[in-house]
Amino acid sequence: MDPTDAPPLEFTRRAALGALAAGAVAATSRGAEEPAAATKGRPRIAAVVNCYWKTSHGQGIVDRLMDGYGWRGEHHRPALDVVSLHVDQRPKGDLTDERLARHPGLKLYPTIAEALTRGTGGLDVDGVVVIGEHGDYLVDDRGRTHYPRYEFFKQIVDVFRKTGKVVPVFNDKHLSWNWDWCREMVATAREMNFPFLAGSSLPVTWRIPEFETPADAEIEEAVCVGYGGVDSYDFHGVESLQCFVERRRGGETGVRAVEAVRGDDVWRTLDPAAGGSPRTKALFDACLCRSFRLTSPREGYGNVFPTLADAAKLVADPYLYRIHYNDGLVGSVYMLNGLVVDFTVALKLKDDPKVRSTQLYLCGISPNQTLPNFFSPLARHIETMMTTGAAPYPVERTLLTSGVVCKAVDLMAEKKRIVETPDMATIAYKVAGESQYMRS
Amino acid sequence: MKTRKPTDAPESIAPARGPKRMAIVATVWKYLSHAQHMGDRFLVGYPIDGAWRTPNVEVVSLYVDQKPDDDQSAERARSFGFSVHPTIAEALRCGGDKLAVDSVLVIGEHGEYPRNEKGQILYPRYEFFKQIVAVFEADGRAVPVYNDKHLSYSFAKAREMVADSRRLKFPMLAGSSLPVTWRLPAVDLPYGAVVEDALMVGVGGSDPMDFHALEAMQCVLERRRGGETGVRRVRMVTGDAVWRAGAEGRWSRALLGAALSRSDSLQGLSVKDGRTQALAEGDELARIVPDPAAYMIEYNDGTRATLLMLNGALADYDLAVKVKGRPDPLSMQFLLPPTPNVAYSAPLMDYVARMIETGRAAYPVERTLLVSGVLESCLDSRTNGEKPLDTPHLDVRYESPRESLFART
Repeated sequence: MDPTDAPPLEFTRRAALGALAAGAVAATSRGAEEPAAATKGRPRIAAVVNCYWKTSHGQGIVDRLMDGYGWRGEHHRPALDVVSLHVDQRPKGDLTDERLARHPGLKLYPTIAEALTRGTGGLDVDGVVVIGEHGDYLVDDRGRTHYPRYEFFKQIVDVFRKTGKVVPVFNDKHLSWNWDWCREMVATAREMNFPFLAGSSLPVTWRIPEFETPADAEIEEAVCVGYGGVDSYDFHGVESLQCFVERRRGGETGVRAVEAVRGDDVWRTLDPAAGGSPRTKALFDACLCRSFRLTSPREGYGNVFPTLADAAKLVADPYLYRIHYNDGLVGSVYMLNGLVVDFTVALKLKDDPKVRSTQLYLCGISPNQTLPNFFSPLARHIETMMTTGAAPYPVERTLLTSGVVCKAVDLMAEKKRIVETPDMATIAYKVAGESQYMRS
Repeated sequence: MKTRKPTDAPESIAPARGPKRMAIVATVWKYLSHAQHMGDRFLVGYPIDGAWRTPNVEVVSLYVDQKPDDDQSAERARSFGFSVHPTIAEALRCGGDKLAVDSVLVIGEHGEYPRNEKGQILYPRYEFFKQIVAVFEADGRAVPVYNDKHLSYSFAKAREMVADSRRLKFPMLAGSSLPVTWRLPAVDLPYGAVVEDALMVGVGGSDPMDFHALEAMQCVLERRRGGETGVRRVRMVTGDAVWRAGAEGRWSRALLGAALSRSDSLQGLSVKDGRTQALAEGDELARIVPDPAAYMIEYNDGTRATLLMLNGALADYDLAVKVKGRPDPLSMQFLLPPTPNVAYSAPLMDYVARMIETGRAAYPVERTLLVSGVLESCLDSRTNGEKPLDTPHLDVRYESPRESLFART
């Protein structure tokens, strides 16, 4: 459908507020915590998920919205009702029926459109939560999993257009595996003027220790060390880095080039004797010192600091994304499976001799733990958007990080090192005010 | 018992040049034992404040009480150039005739030792300590000592150990890593606040794990108004009596809810299908915890505190404190990051390193003394029909450091 053919949209106060916070380029995010007075009743939410089995993102996030979660010293029950559910795949272990039985107010719908309209002719929910993660989807020759987030989003905005109403939308993780589609999703949200929140839980989970980029700090260099696969956990690594660097002086200025390094060249960037940067190595070392799950290079020892030679032995397939920002900052995301099992970030600030570093702590996934409670702050931010109509942080962060991952995956598939990214050089935004990570 | 401030700096310890020499006295040194993860910190360093620190301490001798098949003592000695000695005295004298170290690290945890009728493992910490003190006395010099975990299964022995350290004026640190590990969130009781009630939840066996939980709670409560005043009465109950005590208001369901809200490891239905749970509500908790235990503590100043050991409900350690003048309880998880890094032992060993380097213990050994006694008396209450037990001997008064000393930088 051509957007110009659409009926006039009903611009709710909720949508207008959201557009202020999340839509416009260079907008300032609002740390809106209190429900807007104009919101009537509890928002009714449609959940659209790839799948709903134990440990899937769908289960982790939608369960928290329905059953509540530990939050600031109590069991918090969100002030919203998940009323409709669409589950794209229901393999063995699917929990949909159990959740439907336990939540009489929840109904399952065979299509996304029906989940949003609920048997009425119009849009009959106040918000949509899209969890397009996990499940059995095509993996292409570049290693990208074709999760149908864009397709889900298109079906959602199709209902918006047909019914002439819009509501806030949350999209878990990166927007899409396809860069053009990522841009189209954000452009559509902006054009149709609905609040749009997206991204990883890493930016909003605990930090050990508590740390945020000081207001207006000039950042000389930033490094993240993480683990996991291409077009998967690399996104978490890029978002971990981005949520710190976006607070630098001048705000986010966009990305002019993306570089991908794979194999032994990764270690050379850390080895001054091979032309690597001593400062990068110092930041890298600080990251390793924040890890709780650093592989010991020495058998029979529990916690030994690895040399680069040790690390090279432990990591079979190291890869690195270097993000070249418009204002000259370079951020590095080292993905080192075999060396660490967590995400850490280190920053070198101007006029600060000390390296600042922290771990973005994924509570609940260590051995003996059961509850991935890093989903809890994400659920809390979703609730905030649904009750206030304002996205607590800008979707431009996730647009930029989705773009970095898309470009880096292409580079590695094409065995190229660096690509100019003029279409990411215009993605400028600012966050201001209170940090959004969990700390109380 | 006399009050002692935490920062005694004995004059007998003169600043030395070069690394401080350390003897390690351990029950057993094998992979993932306390001796391994704490002793190794002085061999290969540790992460602290975002950097890898190698303390100015050199391990020069080792005594291990038991050498199982997977013993690592010989390998460590070979790799780091020190000797394993057949006795504690020889380890402290490095094979010579005079005390030849500047510090002693005592790790009396793990290894095969019998249990007594109270269920306590009879780790020979007191016996090790007395041998160390005998060398100090014979050689006319005393050096800082760290004792891992509780001082002894016996309060009488623990009290004697602390008295020895005071008499011979050597700095002594002891206890668990829980008081100094990371907390989620990074909060502490405001110094001098009035505590109305406290509830700790934990898991594991007695008496290894209940000690950790009790000391974690103590390091927060000792900051209350008036400082630590000692404990006048304890009672331990088990089984259904735990739930009845809750129903009668002898521990607080509201605080249980606050403590459990900090857990990342709820069991039962969370294990079955991943769901979140408000386990303090309803009957599910009683269903999944067939054998609960409550350690109920009444301090001399009237403050009440309870430890619930809830095997089957969770796998972490969480505390809730009702603070006067604050509507919601203060609550936190004491974070125990996983093996093999066991990141919690790095801040603990850093305090040991700093005691050795400066001659000052950063926090009072009386904390560990009191908790050692509370634990023993709770177990006595259990074996005596779960009746309340007056504890005049636990008149342990001390002042907590004003600054919070848990890991947060």
